[in-house]
Order: sequence, then C-alpha cells, then structure tokens
Amino acid sequence: MTGGALPRLRTTAERWLDGTGDVRAIALLRIAAGPIVLIHLRPFLEIAADGGSWDDTFHVPYAAWYPALSGGAWRALLWGAVAAAVLMSIGLFTRAATAYTAGFVAWNLFLSQTHFHHNRAFLVILLTGLAVLPVGRVLSIDAVIARSRGRPLAGAIGPLWPLIPMRFSVATAYWASGLSKLLDPDWWGGVVLQLRIEQYGSSALDRGAPEWVIDLLASEAFMWWFAKVVVLTEVFIGVGLLVRRTRLAAVWVAIPFHLTIEATAEVQVFSLAGLCALVIWVTPTTRDRTLVVSGAGWARRLGAAVRWLDWTGRFTVEQSDAGTAVTLYDRPGGTGAPIVRTGREAVWFVLSRLPLAFPIAAPVLPIRSRRGRRARRRNSRSTAG
Amino acid sequence: MRVARRALVAGLIVLQVALVVRAYSADQAVFGFQMFPESSTWRAEIVRVTTDGARIDVREPWPGGYRWSDLVGGFRGLGSPSAERHATAGIDSTLDFLDEALDYAATHTPEDRETVRLEARVTFRRNGGDPETVTLVSRNRPEAAP
Repeated sequence: MTGGALPRLRTTAERWLDGTGDVRAIALLRIAAGPIVLIHLRPFLEIAADGGSWDDTFHVPYAAWYPALSGGAWRALLWGAVAAAVLMSIGLFTRAATAYTAGFVAWNLFLSQTHFHHNRAFLVILLTGLAVLPVGRVLSIDAVIARSRGRPLAGAIGPLWPLIPMRFSVATAYWASGLSKLLDPDWWGGVVLQLRIEQYGSSALDRGAPEWVIDLLASEAFMWWFAKVVVLTEVFIGVGLLVRRTRLAAVWVAIPFHLTIEATAEVQVFSLAGLCALVIWVTPTTRDRTLVVSGAGWARRLGAAVRWLDWTGRFTVEQSDAGTAVTLYDRPGGTGAPIVRTGREAVWFVLSRLPLAFPIAAPVLPIRSRRGRRARRRNSRSTAG
Repeated sequence: MRVARRALVAGLIVLQVALVVRAYSADQAVFGFQMFPESSTWRAEIVRVTTDGARIDVREPWPGGYRWSDLVGGFRGLGSPSAERHATAGIDSTLDFLDEALDYAATHTPEDRETVRLEARVTFRRNGGDPETVTLVSRNRPEAAP
C-alpha cells in the first residue's frame, strides 16, 4: 500500500461511517423486493391457505426461548406480511411496511431450522437494509402524496453506514460460497459440478438450456476446467464488488452468473434477489453528471431516453444547441474540474449507467474511454502548444 | 452515538465473518453461504422397533393412523426416504435433519403405544464416492407399553 492509500482508505471509511448519501437507487430494490417476498412466502401461503401452520409437520426450533406463534396467529401475521410486501413495493406507508416485511421474513426464517435456505438468508439481509435506509422517500406513493400536499419529502438522503454491513453481507454470499468450493477438492476438481449436471441435466433442458450445452457440461475434461471458472467467478464477484476499481466488472459478471444459475438449478428467489440487489452497489449520489444534448435528431432522442431510463438518478439532462450533439460533464477528475466526454464516448458512458443498457454498454465502455482519454490528452497538448 | 454506530457496523461484519468460519464445522451452515456444497446422494430405510422387537417399515400401517410422510412433510425429501435423492445442503446436513426427524416422529405420535423407537439405515454416496452406511436411532418412547 502506498503512502497515500491508507489515509484515503481512512477518509473513505469515515465518509461512509459518519456521512450521508442519496440512496435513491436502492428504492428500485425496494420496489422489486415486494414480488420477491411474495414468491418467497408462497410455500408458507399454501400451508396457510389450507388452514395449516408451519409447525404442523417436522420442524426444528433453533432455541426454546425463541418467540414462536403458530396456528391462526401465525397465519394472521403471514397475511399481514403479504399486505406489507405489497405496500413496501408501491411505497405506501413505506417505512412501517418495509420494517414489518423485514421483521416477519426474519422471524419466520428463524422459527425452524427447516425454514433455512441461503437465498432466504440473503433476502433477510436485503430486507433489513431496506428497513433501515430511507428508501420510501422516492419512487413511492408516499412521495406523490407528500408532493400533492405541498410538503415534498426530503429525497432519499440518509446515513450511509447501514450500507456497509449490507454490502459486505451481500458480497459475502459470493466470496464465501466461492471460497468453500475453492477449498473443497471435489468442487475444484469438477466432480461436484459434473454430478450436478447429471442430476439436473434433464431439468435444465426443460427450462430451455440447449442440448449441446448439457452434453458439453457432462464431459469430465470440460468440467475440470469449468469448475475452476465457476469457483473463481464467484470469488471474483464477491471480492470485486468490495473493491471500487473492479466493482463495475463484478456487477457485470454477476448478471450472466445469476441467469446461468437460474437456468440450471433450483435456487428459489436467489437469482431474482441477487440481480435486483446489484443496485446497492450504485454510488450513493444522484444527478452529479450533466448530460447536454442538442435539440434535434438522435441526440434529442437520447436525452428523452435517458430521462425515462435513468432509474438510479445518475444524470441531469439539459438541452442546448450550442456545441456538440452530446456532451457529458462527468464527476470531477484529478484536477478538480468535471471530466468532459463528447460524442460516442459520452453516449457509451451514459448507456453504461442505465440499468437496462448496462449489460451491453459496460464492456464497450473501457475501449471508448481509452480512446476518449487519448483524445483529451492530444487536445490538451495541442492547446498547450 | 458515533462510537456505538461504528461498533455496530464492526460487530455486524465480524458476526458475518464468524458465521462463514463456523459453517466449515457446523452441520447447518446458517448465514455461511456454502451454496451447492456437494453432489452427494442418499436413501434410507426407516423402521419402527416395537416392544416385541419387531422392525416394521414406516410405510406399513402405523398405530394411531400416523404416516411418516405426513409427519415429516416434503422437507428435503425426508418424507419419502426410500428413493435415492440428492442431499440438497450436503450429506451432513441431511443426516442431521433425518436424525431430528426421527426424534420428531417419536415425540409426535402419542396414540402409538407399541413403538419403542425409530431407526433409519441410511446409505449415502458422498460426491459419487463408494456407498457408506450409517444407522440413526431416535430417542426411546416412554409411551410404548412393555
């Protein structure tokens, strides 16, 4: 670590521990969390719909002292959680609804060891974070009501510290899983994966996986290598998410990772929750980049698209017919002045920050940025000359 | 407040790491995130051992009208143990839960006055290895009439 790295790390840690930020992006997770919770609760709702209770069959309490309710009381709380999940998603009485949803899902998880699944633990982590962060002040009915009463909410500004354990635990789901496989000779050698493909191959075919892919995966030699790719991918996502320089790449890798898992295995809500949880890695600031577009042609359409698709609130879009068709005033660079991107570099950069375009634009961005940096250097040299 | 906040954040991170470490030695890797740990398979023959020493398969009629599959439900295939199946969270977790399920059945069948205990003879293959066998035994039932 260089001499300046430690103080920088300390400054960053203090900013996150004691500072505030805009967690608007995480409101997207709040919206998605409602349906995810409903999917998660489905097996319990099936029991409740038949008038049953979680403890009608085999269960194993974690501790005798744990407060447990069963029968009608449990069913009432369960249906309450359904209502709360819907309210959380639409953003009505958001704070209370999110707290109730998180509380119920966590309480229900710990009623019995038989309720435990890793994807449910992952969901509890996300819901706990949502319950603590001010995610109801934007993209919510609460915000609309407040605006209509002439008392707009203060935006999603809140303390950043709850994001630290939330982010760490989410990253842990990846690196801990990868590490356990890395240390297991059967996993590292491909045996576990090959047997899994043999067991679930037909199920994957039913889900639309191509036959040649399943045949390839069933090959021992291929699997020896593929297991290492899988394990290192998990470790990379987990560690990469925690390191700022590799975060964007880790988020990008996590998308096909989750889609592949969903296509080849039974993981309940893990894929859905994992994909939606990627928004917690969005930098907790909003509108700190200004996109200036000309009022005609494709640039105008780009501006309109950004206004619609900038769900995480990255950009302020302005219209001006002076200068180039598209100019992006990015966050300040090393000199303290905003980095100015123009043309294709600006377009790809903007696309890489829109959730829907991110999977395609993110890999192109490094190439465009490199060319842009070279062009800026050339320009500054010619200006100085 | 500031110190408490920092302590809370540090505590949560330490707790998460501790749960990951614990998962390497625990039967149930709660918050340890050891996902898809194995591709082991298992099957079990479960019998009731009665007061006269008979060993009766739990699929046979049971005094009090109990059924193993109703008692245990669908959790991780424990309700239909005679068919070979994948040990979803690893074989150690499955054996631990099957052991608990035997105790659960032994303590939730009050109308049964003839069963002294339940036994499960489990055959499993850890990641496709050679078959191994282990016998799990429930707690003795005081309800059984001598």
